Amino acid sequence: MEPAGPPAAPARVVLRRLAVRDFRNLQRVELAVPPDGLTVVGENGHGKTNLLESVYYLELLRSVRGARDADLVRFGAPGFHVAAEVDLPGEHRVASRAVGVGFERAGKRKRVRIDGAEVPRLSDALGALPSVIFSPGDVVLVAGSPSERRRYLDVALALTSRRYLAALQAYRGALVRRNAALRDAARTGRGEERATVWEPALAEHGAVLWTERRAWVRRHAGAFAALCAAIGERAPMRLRYATALEVDGEDSVEGARAALGAALAAKRPLDLRRGLTHAGPHRDDLDLALGGRELRLFGSAGQQRTAAIALRMLEAATLRDHVGSAPLFLLDDPFAELDARRAHAILALLGDAGLGQVLLVVPRASDVPEELTRLPRASIRDGVLDA
Amino acid sequence: MSAIDDLAGELSKLPGIGRKTALRLTYFLLKQRPEQSRRLADALTTLAERVRPCAECFNLTEEERCSVCRDQRRDRGVICAVEEASDIGAIERTGEYRGLYHVLGGRLSPLDGVMPEDLTIDRLIARVRGGEVREVILATNPSLEGEATALYVQRQLSGQADGVAVTRIARGLPVGGDLEYADGVTIAQALSARREM
Ligand SMILES: [Zn+2]
Repeated sequence: MEPAGPPAAPARVVLRRLAVRDFRNLQRVELAVPPDGLTVVGENGHGKTNLLESVYYLELLRSVRGARDADLVRFGAPGFHVAAEVDLPGEHRVASRAVGVGFERAGKRKRVRIDGAEVPRLSDALGALPSVIFSPGDVVLVAGSPSERRRYLDVALALTSRRYLAALQAYRGALVRRNAALRDAARTGRGEERATVWEPALAEHGAVLWTERRAWVRRHAGAFAALCAAIGERAPMRLRYATALEVDGEDSVEGARAALGAALAAKRPLDLRRGLTHAGPHRDDLDLALGGRELRLFGSAGQQRTAAIALRMLEAATLRDHVGSAPLFLLDDPFAELDARRAHAILALLGDAGLGQVLLVVPRASDVPEELTRLPRASIRDGVLDA
Repeated sequence: MSAIDDLAGELSKLPGIGRKTALRLTYFLLKQRPEQSRRLADALTTLAERVRPCAECFNLTEEERCSVCRDQRRDRGVICAVEEASDIGAIERTGEYRGLYHVLGGRLSPLDGVMPEDLTIDRLIARVRGGEVREVILATNPSLEGEATALYVQRQLSGQADGVAVTRIARGLPVGGDLEYADGVTIAQALSARREM
């Protein structure tokens, strides 16, 4: 008989080492992260959110806060660099991976290396450090404009579906070109054909976005309602994909492509007048409702926060399904504006789903929820981490 | 401005050449014998003065018409439309194509202000109307802009001349490439362009 190996560790992504140079106010951070995670305590404005933003940069290869790369470089520095050593549990064994991203302000150049080798296309490195970030700013997912919710869907799906990512890039490319051609047609009064030639690409790639988004929402609508109820919401919460596109019969990419092609043609006269494309998934939304009323307009602050956290939990579940292990949880003082009962409920839910490694940042030690007091602590002050 | 700065400035306008490389090239030329630099200058002058677009297909030539258009053995019933003259070399190297060409002079790129009237599409239509042409092969790049350009040309050609077939080169996997390393888009295109065996 073979000797029994060591007991299997819970399957989760583990950030082992982090090295940050000149990212926002972080001049130099070298950190060995314990397997369960770490709590970083620091007053607002001292760099704790920047620390999480730098870690999440390795996942998204851009700022989670939507900042331009040049604005992420520490004042006076020529560029920034973020690197990590990560353990990714595979089917048979844990694979270690070294990920590094550097940005140079002068050449506006971004370089990603995985295990030392430069990645030729940035999109190949997307999702290198499977992680999900929770922060009080997430309330814009519910209270903000439709573009926030589309961005949420695009990130969750692009990180877990190569097909979606490729379609998203092609769709955006075709959209800006059609809009430019529409404006040119309006200005010069020359034929509309110059705009219509972009429509097959919009229909082809838009159909992939539409069907994948619809399928994702269908798969997760029940879980969304259940999560909101478990966090403490009494009225039923509903998640729907809001779209103007109507497809006959069952959802299919082919059906959506035909419907989208027809919708683009139908809206073309309006598009030509306004110089903008009015039909397509770039106009769709996630419809969040509480007892039939739109949460964005009628929800209380607490209800909106609950829904936002439930959305992040769905994102974590989507990543977990894709990677096969729990992602890294980046918690940016996420319970600040929630009552203790809801905070406990959320942590219990995260624990049930198999909480991964946690990087928690809070302004004061007293803000650490009871469930996470076991984590080792570090502190941050003026961008300097004291571990 | 000194002669050194002048030349370095001109060289640094070339693709892939930065300020540092431009200076290195300039000092390299200074160390060579003067004849070497003179030959380079002559070659550049000849290039600028003699090379021009072919009056028929916009391929590059030193004559009125390019070597392909002048070649009586080429099939004048087939025209292969490409984005740039440099694309012709790649097709010629295969030795498989015996028809004529048409250089469009770029591709539709509304973000850079390149619109249909900036390409040689009207001249292509005129050639097709001439009556000799049986087929137009659209060989623009399989990119977003190349596809839109092919579609635009196809729509402009349809109804211009009866009995002219407009075809598009197939997209798919490169020969010698490994399926495992091909990107998903390429594999999907190769699958959708599959044929019966
Ligand atoms: Zn010619």
